[in-house]
Amino acid sequence: MIDIIQNTVDGVMIGSSYALLALGFTLIFGTMRRLNLAYGPTIMAGAYLGTYAFLALDIGVLPVALLVVAGAAVAGLYVERLCFRPFGEGAAIASMISSFAVWMQIEEAASLALPHHLNAFPRLVSGQPITVGPFFFRLDHLAMLAVAAAAAALVHVVLHRTRFGLGVRTLIDHRRAAELVGVPVTHTLTLAFLLACAIGGLAGFLIAASEAQITPMFGMWATTKGLIAMMIGGLGSVPGAIMGGLALGVIEAQAQWLFGPQVRDLIAWGVLFAVLALWPGGLLGGRQVAEQQAVQRRV
Amino acid sequence: MLQVSDVETAYGKIKALKGVSLSAAKGRITCLLGPNGAGKTTLMYTIAGILRPLRGSIRLDGQEIAGLTSAAIVSRGLALVPENRLVFPQMSVKENLEAGAYRRKDAAGIAEDIARMYARFPRLQERREQLAGTLSGGEQQMLAVARALMSRPRILLMDEPSLGLAPMIVEEVFSIIKSLNRDGVTIFLVEQNAHMALGVAHHFYLMEQGRVTFSGEPGKLAEDEVIQRAYLGTRRASA
Amino acid sequence: MDFYLGLLQIIGVHTLLGLSAYVVLLTGQVSLAQAGFMAIGAYVSAMLTVLAKWALVPALLTGGAAAAAVACLVGFPALRVRGLMLVVATLAFGEAVRLFFFNFDYQIAMGGIKVGPLGGEGFRQIRYFPENGWTTFQVMVFIWLTVGVVMTALWWMDRSRVGAVLRAVGEDEVAAQSAGLNLTAVKVSAMTLGGFIAGVAGGLYAHYTTHIEQGNFNVLVATFAIAYPILGGLSNVFGTLAAVVFIQGFLIEGLRFLGDWRNLLFGALIVLAMNVRPGGLLDAQTMSKGLSALRRLLDPAYGSAAARQAIDGLKDAGAMFRRLIAKWKGAFGA
Repeated sequence: MIDIIQNTVDGVMIGSSYALLALGFTLIFGTMRRLNLAYGPTIMAGAYLGTYAFLALDIGVLPVALLVVAGAAVAGLYVERLCFRPFGEGAAIASMISSFAVWMQIEEAASLALPHHLNAFPRLVSGQPITVGPFFFRLDHLAMLAVAAAAAALVHVVLHRTRFGLGVRTLIDHRRAAELVGVPVTHTLTLAFLLACAIGGLAGFLIAASEAQITPMFGMWATTKGLIAMMIGGLGSVPGAIMGGLALGVIEAQAQWLFGPQVRDLIAWGVLFAVLALWPGGLLGGRQVAEQQAVQRRV
Repeated sequence: MLQVSDVETAYGKIKALKGVSLSAAKGRITCLLGPNGAGKTTLMYTIAGILRPLRGSIRLDGQEIAGLTSAAIVSRGLALVPENRLVFPQMSVKENLEAGAYRRKDAAGIAEDIARMYARFPRLQERREQLAGTLSGGEQQMLAVARALMSRPRILLMDEPSLGLAPMIVEEVFSIIKSLNRDGVTIFLVEQNAHMALGVAHHFYLMEQGRVTFSGEPGKLAEDEVIQRAYLGTRRASA
Repeated sequence: MDFYLGLLQIIGVHTLLGLSAYVVLLTGQVSLAQAGFMAIGAYVSAMLTVLAKWALVPALLTGGAAAAAVACLVGFPALRVRGLMLVVATLAFGEAVRLFFFNFDYQIAMGGIKVGPLGGEGFRQIRYFPENGWTTFQVMVFIWLTVGVVMTALWWMDRSRVGAVLRAVGEDEVAAQSAGLNLTAVKVSAMTLGGFIAGVAGGLYAHYTTHIEQGNFNVLVATFAIAYPILGGLSNVFGTLAAVVFIQGFLIEGLRFLGDWRNLLFGALIVLAMNVRPGGLLDAQTMSKGLSALRRLLDPAYGSAAARQAIDGLKDAGAMFRRLIAKWKGAFGA
């Protein structure tokens, strides 16, 4: 029982970074209805920029964080211009294939810049875990949870208290209607894409800082974690992305404790397939989709 | 107020509008009738800046708006209530109204206008926190009109507001159109329901196969001929 | 020489993989599960020849059948989701299959050594071809015979009622349904057939490389599988072949001299190809132009017409290039 609670706590803390990854992913998928396979590699580009500066210039952890976020946003701009802007509505698969090609580019560029497989990354905090009764909390995981929660709250405010946020929400909901009320579509999409990559960059920084290392595999890892978490929670839904991230963290922690790390990833993908097959809209999105369909039938 | 001259719009290689010219006068209700596939919705989307015309000119109070983005056109005072309403289904009624005011920056004025919409459409106030996708068809139509009005348009375009609604609700929609017009809103209306449309229009056009084929006041043409041409088109009607 | 034979083997197997995705794409479904089906075919047929000492062809067919059965089972739940959700669902399934083999051990002792799949170590010593004295050339011919059979079958299917049915579903589901087609049956059949072809491709792959591991069937391979028919166009099976030759032959092997920089250019060229020809390298229009040009070339009376055709082709390429530059200028805000 104590193990299960400890796993759940660990899962929630790791899951907070998955939630951020999913949040960025869902902003892109929700507004564009496109799958950006280069999302993880974009984040990796930022993380490599950060670790490059850390190794070459020996800068502190906060400048590294800024570099990672900025680098991810710049790489995101490259992906958006190359894979998303040139294709019209309906060419979702062309965008996906292009983003896959850019993924290969970024991975190659990263290993050209830093040829070692493992590269050191600065820690955000270090110290002994805090113990409360039979439970213990790693400091870096607590920091991860705190920063992720603050970032998610900030995103919520941006989406609900700014004109840009209103535009993003209308685009997630109905693109044509958004055009009709006068949302500048192209401009808003680009900004949403950049915001998404910056959020992903922050998540990437938190994860790399917790692991204290980064490898070229990080790109694929981040894409798959973000994708699974987003899909479990339901598309284009911000609370869904957060719940999906936390759920994925807890599922992985329990699966790893029960079956070991190799089966953990298998279970994560299996859960995703089951969720999609049983509730096509995701756990949180499903009910709304069903309601919408019922309404359309009535009309 | 709105002048469309010689507009052509195409989907790929298929021309949906083959040189359309018409105008809507300030303070009046102008109506466009025609059979399915005549290009009415294409014309509405072209005027609203969603589709780009190949050629021709669209003027709003003398200023050229053809080729502007839909965002710029909304800012200039033209709003479209689209076919099938297209409310934001996952947003609340209140959020839909706020989205309608996207181009405006006067927070106080927006709040005032939302209150005004609730006064005009009491049912929207009752359901202000409800998701728009869960409203009935008639309520969604009210919301679509209210959302368009939130941009404070000088001219309101409406594409088939009666589509798919029960007869009683259709009556209500048309009484709203009349009362909006009495309050000074210029209206350009596309309709399938020729009888209701001719009841409110000051001027009407017939459109068939991408061209305007008649222009006049209601009464200039016998209603049954209008209906025949509006539903069936001239070619099939004379055949 | 062996290098080119090896390349031909790769191109052959990837053509089969691309064709498996092609069949599914005809019905409008984008599946990222093809690498998973390939893995099933590879492991099953290799286990049959190595552990059960079956002959190659029945082992390949059984591997294909196993992959087809799984694909059929996946087809039903996957039908509930559409578009990009289907892409993700099939990706999830493919990755789950890959990770299953990552955890799959089944080894038995044979002549003093243990053989069979061993988790992350993979499945070594799939020695059917060397044990039976096949040369690389013979293996290559065998692979291409299989490719030939599958391509001919699909070419014929495309021109029959079956092809028309698949395409009808792909173009407009609602219309196809109202014309009386059973969407479930059509989509699941396409998925099953695609699974079978991918499974056979996996079996061939396992036997010519002699060593497989879960990493051979990752999302990269799955994306390649759908990239081939999308890049090649869906008008017929030769587009897929052309795309495989373009990617595997030209982009991967032809650019090998670039060393570490290859993937940068590779990515750029794929993005470029998608921009220039969103409908595929060989879309219906290009295909008919090419065929008539070929016919004229063979007919001496039309020699000058063929030259004109070639000049027209160059003009087309010029116009295409100009369009592309205009588009990219827009994309970069110039």
